Amino acid sequence: MATEKPEQFDRVDWSELSQSGRFDLSINSIGMLVATLPLALLWLYDSQFVGEREATFQAIGLSRNLDPLDYFFIFTLFLFFFYLILPLYQNPRMTRYYWKEFRRNRPAVVSLGWLGIVFVGGLLGPLVVSAPEQSILTGHQPPVFLSIDEANVATCVGDVVNGRCQGTWQHPLGTTRGGKDVFAGIVYGMTISMQIAFITTTIVAAIGITFGTVSAYAGGWIDEVMMRFVDIILSFPTFLMFLLILYIYGAGLGMFILVFSAFAWGGTARYVRSKALSVSEEEFIKATRISGASTYRVVRKHVVPNVASSIITQLTLLIPGFLLAEAQLAFLGIGDSAVPSWGQLISAGRSDLAFAPWIVLAPGIVLFLTILAFNFIGDALLDALNPEAEAENA
Amino acid sequence: MSTPLLEVEGLRTTFSTDNGELTAVDGIDFSVNEGETVCIVGESGSGKTVATESVTRIIKEPPGRVEGSVRFKGRDLLAMSEPELRTIRGYEIAHIFQNPQEAMNHCYTVGWQIVEAIQIHRDISDEEARAKAIDLMDKVGIANASSRFDDYPHEFSGGQKQRVMIAMALVGDPDLLIADEPTTALDVTVQAQILRLLEELQEEFDMGILFVTHDLGVVAEIADRIVVMYAGKVMERGDVLDIFERPAHPYTQRLLNCLPEIGARKGGIPGTLPDPIDPPDGCRFAPRCEHAVDACVTGDQPEEIEVNPGQRASCVHYRPGRDDSVVRDGIPNASADEEGVSSADD
Amino acid sequence: MGFGKYVGARVLWAVVVSLIITTITFLLLAAAPNPAIREAATQAALQGGDPSAAVERERELRGLNQPLYVRYMDFIKSVYTLDWGWSESRSQPVTEAMLQALYYTAQYSIPWTVLTITLGPLVGVYSAANMYSWRDHVATGFAFFGYAIPNFFFGIILLLIFGVWFEVVPISYDTSAPVFSLQNVRQLILPVFVLVTGSIGATMRVSRNESAEFQNSEFMKTAKAKGVSPLRAYAYHVMRPTMVPLSTTLVGQLLALFIGSSLLVEVVFGIPGLGRLTFNALISQDTNLILGSTLVFTFIAVVGNLLEDLVFTVLDPRINYDDR
Repeated sequence: MATEKPEQFDRVDWSELSQSGRFDLSINSIGMLVATLPLALLWLYDSQFVGEREATFQAIGLSRNLDPLDYFFIFTLFLFFFYLILPLYQNPRMTRYYWKEFRRNRPAVVSLGWLGIVFVGGLLGPLVVSAPEQSILTGHQPPVFLSIDEANVATCVGDVVNGRCQGTWQHPLGTTRGGKDVFAGIVYGMTISMQIAFITTTIVAAIGITFGTVSAYAGGWIDEVMMRFVDIILSFPTFLMFLLILYIYGAGLGMFILVFSAFAWGGTARYVRSKALSVSEEEFIKATRISGASTYRVVRKHVVPNVASSIITQLTLLIPGFLLAEAQLAFLGIGDSAVPSWGQLISAGRSDLAFAPWIVLAPGIVLFLTILAFNFIGDALLDALNPEAEAENA
Repeated sequence: MSTPLLEVEGLRTTFSTDNGELTAVDGIDFSVNEGETVCIVGESGSGKTVATESVTRIIKEPPGRVEGSVRFKGRDLLAMSEPELRTIRGYEIAHIFQNPQEAMNHCYTVGWQIVEAIQIHRDISDEEARAKAIDLMDKVGIANASSRFDDYPHEFSGGQKQRVMIAMALVGDPDLLIADEPTTALDVTVQAQILRLLEELQEEFDMGILFVTHDLGVVAEIADRIVVMYAGKVMERGDVLDIFERPAHPYTQRLLNCLPEIGARKGGIPGTLPDPIDPPDGCRFAPRCEHAVDACVTGDQPEEIEVNPGQRASCVHYRPGRDDSVVRDGIPNASADEEGVSSADD
Repeated sequence: MGFGKYVGARVLWAVVVSLIITTITFLLLAAAPNPAIREAATQAALQGGDPSAAVERERELRGLNQPLYVRYMDFIKSVYTLDWGWSESRSQPVTEAMLQALYYTAQYSIPWTVLTITLGPLVGVYSAANMYSWRDHVATGFAFFGYAIPNFFFGIILLLIFGVWFEVVPISYDTSAPVFSLQNVRQLILPVFVLVTGSIGATMRVSRNESAEFQNSEFMKTAKAKGVSPLRAYAYHVMRPTMVPLSTTLVGQLLALFIGSSLLVEVVFGIPGLGRLTFNALISQDTNLILGSTLVFTFIAVVGNLLEDLVFTVLDPRINYDDR
């Protein structure tokens, strides 16, 4: 993806840095490459030289392993940082304006805080909190400040008072039937949720934008065919497909992400196409006639920035759907029980709901809050980034 | 002289906004007699629209608030309850607005909307209402009224839509018609037709018309009396001929000066409107007035002083004991028949 | 093109899409390992027989040893003749199984749809009328809550509280209860409640935002100047225009929720409806039943989209179907 020819272009772009609303891709792309290179090398090393059962970082004594999904996740994090976060720094005026609009929506700001917690928890949590481990004897421990009838536990980690086993800080949210710490489960679930969110969104955005712009610029029957194809994708009964594919072909986290992304890009493609068409009416014609700039350049400089804010909003609202779908599928028994997602936790705790409700409640509430947060933020983004779409006009 | 049809005194309309309390209309008086046409003239932001909407209180209250006295046929409209007001709105006092494109609901036929106006106020059958509506549509000049009755607003041209709005306004034989820039959005030729129509209807229905506009050419055609507003206050008022021939207030003079005239150089009015949340002391026009003196920027808006019989201006220069030649023989005025171009844009 | 032709073309497209999707499903299923066959192989191996021969036998039994295109042709033919084959897992014709399941699904989905369509827009308009007041915030809060909380989670919690702790509703569904009985109402009230809270949030938000635009419109001012009462103004001049953008979302929303929500609600509450039927079919890889369900769901979805588009043109007099 390295662009050799526009060495001069990059320099010209640099001087336009002060223009707001534009994605200055030159330095961001450089940063992206600089960050991705070591990652790619690490992955190469991992896949070629490190044994299947060995952890990636075994050589330096850490038992931390990175699977392909983790690599991709880190890659998407880089994308997020260099193409979404960094531009915010580069355009302080625009950022300040958007933030001011966003800030008016108090629930959204709180949601941002919550998502921040989930994000940090998902990234750093596993480094700090040890993975939930099976320990049958200490199953069904209640959360701190609560208690459970002694008869329901094999051994009680805390004290037993009046025939009831008390909760302890050792397991602040209690344990599952198998003795796994619920709090740790939730933290590790944060990682899973973040992975789903980032990776699926990246794939959906990539396919959607590419499809939409190619369709728009190709025009004619190619456009027709492509849009009919999108129609079909959109008509799939998605949940049914998830069930079908995941049940029959296996349900690891990677499969989940693959299947979700395969069916979710239709709306984005349609939207990008219509935006590209309306932009190309003017810009493309001018650009080709006057400057001889390539279509690709026009797309990147004009279509993408215009479309970006709407897409960000749209994507933000897609994410809760994915998280919900994963939880639903886990609840139905489809999914990898080894994957410590919130859905799996809820599913595991269902049978013990009557006497050990925390196993279901804790991850359930966390899932609920996260879905809620994304919805609030998406709503606020809609108001902040798209004033035309706002219903309440002065 | 009999009591005026509409008598407004000390009308003050404010809005609470995020940035403070905005005063759109700051204590004005005006009146309309039966059968006469009074034009409220001013540029955008002068408060003229808010003033007329305050008469029937179709302003959203809150955040708006209307104070003062508005007497219609002797009754104080500001003291009435909403249900009482609703019997008067659309019946004894009717409105027509500037934007016929948006003024009708696109989901219902034109006929339905006129019938709605009728049946709210009168308990008559659907057939009767329909007949009345078609009759009105005919009167306002819609051809094939009976078949057009079932057409939707988007199937009419701008001028026709405005005619429909007028028909809707006439359902109750109103005594007062409040027209807020009804011709501004229309072509010039259509404009003339609508004005003609209004004049005819005024005669036939014996209506008083309160006409808001920023177009002096329109004023010249239809007004009996003029009230010149600026930044929420009245600058000058009087008979239309008097004002056109000898405008007393510097603002009026400059407005008239903006009308194009062959062979003469015209100018706009430099400067902008004052802040409606925190207006300056003294005369509102002072910051833009070339004749402003110290007395102009102290205290309140100058009281209105009679300059001619029936003509009053709010200007310190006309106070007794002052030399008013500075302003009285100000910029030469345009003749009353000339076609006008508006002095300020939206 | 004329309205009739337009509708005809779209319906045709709907059929085509459904077929394509079902074909893809068919292919997916064909490519998948069949557990029954694997079962047979395992059995044979355990009993000392020849696994591969057992596999062959099973395949022959199920008609799976025929070339793909033959099977496919059979499938297409059966779709047309509405003879959707035999459901292995239920030991009854597919169509019969589906109709039976539909009977139970309808009992909760009809009240659910009716409530969402009526309450959603009303609450939305009410919220828009009191925009930014505490009423608005409360309504919006409920909407967000209902929308965000996963239906299955909400369901099992409510079932725990009202079924186990308070014992006001039964914890398992009794299919023998007559449709219009109090007993049926009691056992359906929670599933309908859970579903409605989920869908009303979305419809309410949309109608709130759309109607807000109309509340500040010029024609509302005209209505007020005509002497129209606020109630009438909302009912006629806000609701009606709002229905236009709302209809597109409503149909889409309801359809989207239908498959996901109904399956999970049926699982949680034990209702033997269409969702459960499909799910069980999947688990036992009852090909005919899966294909039948997929076809139906897809067709409903595509027709739903069509309805969405058409309703839009009908409700807004300004729009000519030609402009679509």
